[in-house]
Amino acid sequence: MKKFIVLLMLCCTPSALWAEEAKLETVQVETSVAAIERGAETLMINCHSCHSLKYIKYRDLANFGMDKKKIEDWRGDQPLDAPLSSQMSEDAAVQSFGVVPPDLSLMTKAREGGASYVYSYLLGYYSTPDGVTGNHIYPATKMPDILGSSGVTEPAAREELQKKAHDIVSFLAWAADPHEQERHRLGYYVIGYLFILTLLLYFVKNQVWSKLK
Amino acid sequence: MSNKIIQWIDHRFPFTSFVKHELTGYPTPRNLSYWWNFGFLAGFVLVLQVATGIFLAMHYKADVALSFDSIQHIMRDVNYGWLLRFMHSTGASAFFLVIYIHMARTLYYGSYRAPRELMWWTGQGLLLLLMATAFMGYLLPWGQMSFWGATVITNLFRATPFIGEQVVIWLRGDYTVGDATLTRFFALHYLFPFLIIGAVLVHLVALHTVKSSNPSGIDLAAKDNIPFHPYFTIKDFYGLGIFLIVYCIFVFFLPNSLIEPANNIPANPMLTPNHIVPEWYFLPFYAILRSVPNMVGGVVAMGLSVMMFAFMPFLDRSRIPGGAHYRPIFRLQFYLFLLDMLVLGYIGYIPPTSQSILIGQVATLCYFGSFFLVPFVSKAEERWLIKRGLPPDVQALIAGESREKSQSPLRRRSGDKK
Repeated sequence: MKKFIVLLMLCCTPSALWAEEAKLETVQVETSVAAIERGAETLMINCHSCHSLKYIKYRDLANFGMDKKKIEDWRGDQPLDAPLSSQMSEDAAVQSFGVVPPDLSLMTKAREGGASYVYSYLLGYYSTPDGVTGNHIYPATKMPDILGSSGVTEPAAREELQKKAHDIVSFLAWAADPHEQERHRLGYYVIGYLFILTLLLYFVKNQVWSKLK
Repeated sequence: MSNKIIQWIDHRFPFTSFVKHELTGYPTPRNLSYWWNFGFLAGFVLVLQVATGIFLAMHYKADVALSFDSIQHIMRDVNYGWLLRFMHSTGASAFFLVIYIHMARTLYYGSYRAPRELMWWTGQGLLLLLMATAFMGYLLPWGQMSFWGATVITNLFRATPFIGEQVVIWLRGDYTVGDATLTRFFALHYLFPFLIIGAVLVHLVALHTVKSSNPSGIDLAAKDNIPFHPYFTIKDFYGLGIFLIVYCIFVFFLPNSLIEPANNIPANPMLTPNHIVPEWYFLPFYAILRSVPNMVGGVVAMGLSVMMFAFMPFLDRSRIPGGAHYRPIFRLQFYLFLLDMLVLGYIGYIPPTSQSILIGQVATLCYFGSFFLVPFVSKAEERWLIKRGLPPDVQALIAGESREKSQSPLRRRSGDKK
């Protein structure tokens, strides 16, 4: 009973996170192979040492049409069917950061705001007066400012950084939902077919009902 | 040749007479509007859910260590697995949408009134089965919302007098929601649709005994009834086409809008999400649960809020035909009730603040109040309407239909009172 009350109260207290939620920058992810490949490359350099993408295999990257040569470089001596597991062991990660870095395969689906959230988070770092970095979007984060967004203020460099983050997010969005483009393509056909079918059914219906006195 | 086969069958099974009685000769009021399509649509969605569900079950693994991964396996590796899964997850929402419209139509037109009380009550039973099935299905992806939703809801059974603690353990099969809970929910999630099919058959037998209600609310004479086939088969198919367009827009373009982001994080019993929300179709009832400060009271209020509909045949005392159509005050009540449902749904969705709790409590009072007011309002409204005189078209309709019936008693339908 007591446990339940605590639980119910937990559900009922407005969370601190909700109240402090910072405004997200809205981004549209890119769906071209080139952009997603650029994102994969940036991710492999900056994120992959700590973060895994366990639902993505190297073969998936190849099937999507990414450069075979690059995939060879990334996977080294791992088999083509190996998932993109992180290079750091969980224990080592806990030792360095205090938490296991989350798997990124579903990251753009697993946060309110999706790709915009991840994008804003990557660029949401700032330097505090005492020399450490904080994050506007997720203040409790343990991740260091890996893209260096807290130190970059110069417009040209900032733009470069935004492009980098945009590519990463585009790749992550693809990784979270690799069949999205296929789904949309099929969707247009299905709905187009249904439109014609429904229109015909409407005519048949009128025809049938017109026989009624 | 086919004639011979049918003859052969008819000797052994009432095939032709069944088709004639239930389809080609089944009398249906000709004035049914498109609001009467939703029963057929509910049946269609049921078939869709069973069909996609069976194929999903071929690839799904009910095991806390595997289920989250197996969903991703379905989404990524199984041929058109993403389509099956999104059809099924969107189908759950579609099912509730269709059922809620079906219920709203029944309430608006007073179709729950005599002689259709049993239809309404079997429908109420179907709603409960549907809710149970949806709730158990929601645990299967084993995401954060799955886990915590199931934890919160099974916890509610602690309100059972004397044996609350034991009931919760019995339901979960463990002290917490875990592997035992997941496997039994999977087993029951597979079983319940077949119970629903059985209950639907009862619902249909009742329908074919009393026949469809109609917007006028008056039992129509034979001349105003037309055969179900072809008139309503084609009308239902046309409605199905429109439904499928809306459904496919969600399946192909917005499937993730119906899946809580937190459910893409594997269940973690050590980490409570900031904000536990049920699926949209449970939100009004969830808001009622949260509006009552006392736990047992909240559970009773929530249970009652779902069951209140069953009392409608007793609560509505008016004899004016046509439900809300010819009853201005009942109509106003109906729309206010819908508005109240939306308010409750919104309150159930947002994280509670002292202000939203207050709004929720007022909306909860309005919810139950609108049911309790029905007997008094309906009686007063009836007196007022009779004193004022029914609209001339209603009077003409009633007079015309009764004249028609007295002239041709042989053409009465089986559902008519003798």
